[in-house]
Amino acid sequence: MKDLPQTVFVVDDDDAVRDSLRMLLKSAGVHAETCASAQEFLSSYDASQPGCLVLDVRMPGMSGLEMQHELNLRGVTMPVIFITGHGDIPMAVEAMQHGAFDFLQKPFRDQELLDRVQRALVRDAENRARLRHTDRIRERLASLSPREREVLDLVTQGKANKMVAGDLGVSQRTVEIHRAHVMQKMEAGSLAELVRMMMAVAPSP
Amino acid sequence: MLRPEMAGSNDNGAGGNKREVQRVRTIIVAGQSSDRTREVLRALSGFTNVIWPTSLESALAQTRSQDAGCLVIADDLREEPIDEFLQEARELQRNLPIFVITDPDDVAEAVSAMRHGATAVIEIPPSYAALCEEVSRALQ
Repeated sequence: MKDLPQTVFVVDDDDAVRDSLRMLLKSAGVHAETCASAQEFLSSYDASQPGCLVLDVRMPGMSGLEMQHELNLRGVTMPVIFITGHGDIPMAVEAMQHGAFDFLQKPFRDQELLDRVQRALVRDAENRARLRHTDRIRERLASLSPREREVLDLVTQGKANKMVAGDLGVSQRTVEIHRAHVMQKMEAGSLAELVRMMMAVAPSP
Repeated sequence: MLRPEMAGSNDNGAGGNKREVQRVRTIIVAGQSSDRTREVLRALSGFTNVIWPTSLESALAQTRSQDAGCLVIADDLREEPIDEFLQEARELQRNLPIFVITDPDDVAEAVSAMRHGATAVIEIPPSYAALCEEVSRALQ
């Protein structure tokens, strides 16, 4: 499936800021969409849309930090660049602790924002590529039979076929056949690759 | 003058339960020899096992130790930029609480420190209370 183009979503209640950022991003060849409030963005956001967010901290109604919290609850991983005219250290630390990509104080130079936007777009593309990779591995895992999954778990723990056969109470030949099926279904060229795949989908400690 | 080794090992029996909890974990302080670093050490003097290693290599070695409870970057470092040191420390210990002290209102520096792996950035002044709270939490 071809990726959708990356979009920078600007959420700021100030019309002048929205317009100037849209023009700035357009001049840099970056597609931008603007919203006047957090609610407006949240009601229209489609998670399959790649890009990043430029988010004002202080807005009437839901603040930028509250919107970040809501995005986290929804599992949205799109990088967020906060912008604010009245930032302080506790506010910046809170935003960063909750996963903000960056936090920029107004006034800032155009290039400062463009640099951060470019980095955020790269980060989003990397995140999405990683997610696609783990999704593919999970699909392959789901195609394994229960026995093949048992064999996979044991061989990726470093057990030799003979030990796996002993653990499962089957012949070594049977293990070899299951193992060959596992390698084929998982599209793994080697045991090392299989181990890497399992590490990629393992839950974080 | 740089004062190496133990900075606040006042294991004198005072403190009761606090000493029980904090006995083993080390608070590593990094910072050049300065008034700021000395103030931080003084503020942390109620904790046991506060160390101020002589060099950043030594601080990183302590950070790698299983006994490390938290790392406090009190002031500029002589040998390298704070962000680089932070990143190295973070790579060594993924879950170690790392606190950075900054001047008030230096938002850009605080954001940079957070990007490089700080757990929290604390502005000084007004007081060291926030630092002591963070350190207490880190040691629990």
